[in-house]
Amino acid sequence: MSILPRLRLLPSHASTPFNILRAFTTTPPLPAKSLPPRPTLHDADLIEKFLHGSGPGGQKINKTSSAVQLKHIPTGIVVKYQDTRSRTVNRKMARKILQEKIEEMELGEGARTRIKQREVSGKKRSAEKKRRRKYRKLGEVEGEREREEGIEYGGGELDGINEVEGAKEVESVGDGAKKEGEK
Amino acid sequence: MPRIGNSLLRKAHALDPFLPALLAPCRDIHAAQNELRWLRQHVDRVAKARRARGDTLAKGSLLRQLVSERASGKPLQYILGTEYFGDLEIRCRSGVLIPRQDTAASVTNLVRLLRDAQKLPPELRLLDLCTGTGCVPLLFRHELYTARDDVDLHILGVDVSPKALKLAHYNMQRAHRSMPRGKMRLIRADVVLNPFADQDGDALPLKVALNHSGLPPFWDILVSNPPYISPSNYWTTTTRSVRGYEPKLALVPPSIASQSDTEQGDLFYPRLLEIARDVEAKIVLLEVADLDQAQRVAQRAHNLSIFDGIEIWRERPDINTQAPAGVDNVSIIGEGNARSVLCWRGAGAAWLGKATASAGRDDALRLFRSYGHLPHGDASQAGTSPMEPQFDWPTTPPSEQDLPMAFHNARIARRSRDRFRERLSRRGTGLWTDHPYPEDYYFIRTSFGLQKRRRKP
Ligand SMILES: C[S@@+](CC[C@H](N)C(=O)[O-])C[C@H]1O[C@@H](n2cnc3c(N)ncnc32)[C@H](O)[C@@H]1O
Repeated sequence: MSILPRLRLLPSHASTPFNILRAFTTTPPLPAKSLPPRPTLHDADLIEKFLHGSGPGGQKINKTSSAVQLKHIPTGIVVKYQDTRSRTVNRKMARKILQEKIEEMELGEGARTRIKQREVSGKKRSAEKKRRRKYRKLGEVEGEREREEGIEYGGGELDGINEVEGAKEVESVGDGAKKEGEK
Repeated sequence: MPRIGNSLLRKAHALDPFLPALLAPCRDIHAAQNELRWLRQHVDRVAKARRARGDTLAKGSLLRQLVSERASGKPLQYILGTEYFGDLEIRCRSGVLIPRQDTAASVTNLVRLLRDAQKLPPELRLLDLCTGTGCVPLLFRHELYTARDDVDLHILGVDVSPKALKLAHYNMQRAHRSMPRGKMRLIRADVVLNPFADQDGDALPLKVALNHSGLPPFWDILVSNPPYISPSNYWTTTTRSVRGYEPKLALVPPSIASQSDTEQGDLFYPRLLEIARDVEAKIVLLEVADLDQAQRVAQRAHNLSIFDGIEIWRERPDINTQAPAGVDNVSIIGEGNARSVLCWRGAGAAWLGKATASAGRDDALRLFRSYGHLPHGDASQAGTSPMEPQFDWPTTPPSEQDLPMAFHNARIARRSRDRFRERLSRRGTGLWTDHPYPEDYYFIRTSFGLQKRRRKP
């Protein structure tokens, strides 16, 4: 088990200054309306796993991880998402990220994510970060907010390492699958 | 549990000084980081709430305290006070079992089948036995209501633990506020108590409690996640955090003299199936520990001879793999460990989109016959008390033509007998009353049509 694989994942996401710079000099920013449609995911193309290790399950264990791993069979892309405590939110997020990855693979610089990146700059980029942070809390916002304790929708600080890209782990098959929670 | 290596601890410490402590319960850095983030968010919220009240809070020391509680094994759900269950956030409290994702998966799958049903009764009644936090009926309701608006759900949650009932009440209130539809009720009752046994405990047997609360005797769907872990499995297969912090009452059935370890683990199922028959449930979903237990439960359900179909569901019943139907036509569906047993009869087949259904008459006949198969329904038991009236229980199945009537009468007779025994058992409690019960009548078919007769005392 190591945390290194997560660093390896970063390159696929073009948030380096270089990319942004180039984007601005070569392509005029497109309005968000002209984004290409998201690729549709077909259930038959997906293998979804809830990662909780092997074991008896049911009443015998009270696990806190609701990690979801999604594999897209045609492209071999694997996405893992475990940032929220809600399995349903993790599932939705894994799907969304997978769509983005497939699109980036297919369209390269024309992908929604790339276009959006070119659109956002300076201030906007931090708004984008906020947006991502919001996703993480999505679903944790169910129900009323008036309760004082015992609920965890906080405007919480992120501990740096998990921010934005660290939130997800993306890797291709055969890239040495990570095992979660080795026992 | 293997020790956590020094290099991992150092790595964790470099990332955040709070992380190493969380490695013990989490086992890996990523999981520990997630938990730490959730704990921080929680502390922030608490601080915010305190500030709103004009109080202050030392965030650092609260976080340190929560991290150390977590490090010693206390479940995160008890620390944060909630758990996610499907789309819902359910309030948790120590003393009440934390809802499990596996349970949510079974419930979601059940509703996935029901939401496509051509026709559901406009008033659908759902009985959840051993309700705990109330998570099961609440998710059922949420999933059904987001798909259909032609059904009114009436939910009854039953538990023996006052702590659980209080929490379930809180959760139900919240759910009702955010979606004010249908009806929800909770009662305290003991589902394993024999209604004819001496009632010295303070919780009433379910049937008696239903009667007392004026609740309907018939329920369309029965669901339950009862305690199902045998004493030896409790020690060998549960995690330390479960043993150390979750109530044993919710996990291990009570011990009864001369029963084996396995029998004790299975204790609830015969009772639950019997209740399913008595309330004439058309769909029954029971959670189980593993495939062996699933098969024992399926076998029992099969022996009852009232169901049109029985399935075993694994942890991911939504994944479409189906093992060929094995013994007694029970198919095993999905992937992962076996997690629940589904039974259906009569109209339940159509609700679930299953092909197998029997004609109404056959269904009624089976239901009627099955009363001879179970301990409390056994006609030979009538008359064990000298004060008890002898009701004319038919010993041979009635002819086809007389069936509905005979069935009806048998049911009435049975009710009447139950009430009589109940009255007997209450004599000493000062609760006993002596007004006639409507069930003290029966019907006969005469040349003039149906006639109502009073039973001779
Ligand atoms: C495994 S927990 C299930 C809780 C909840 N349904 C869930 O899935 O999270 C079992 C519940 O059964 C209750 N219980 C235990 N013995 C009981 C009995 N004899 N009659 C009724 N409820 C009982 C416990 O209080 C506990 O809440």
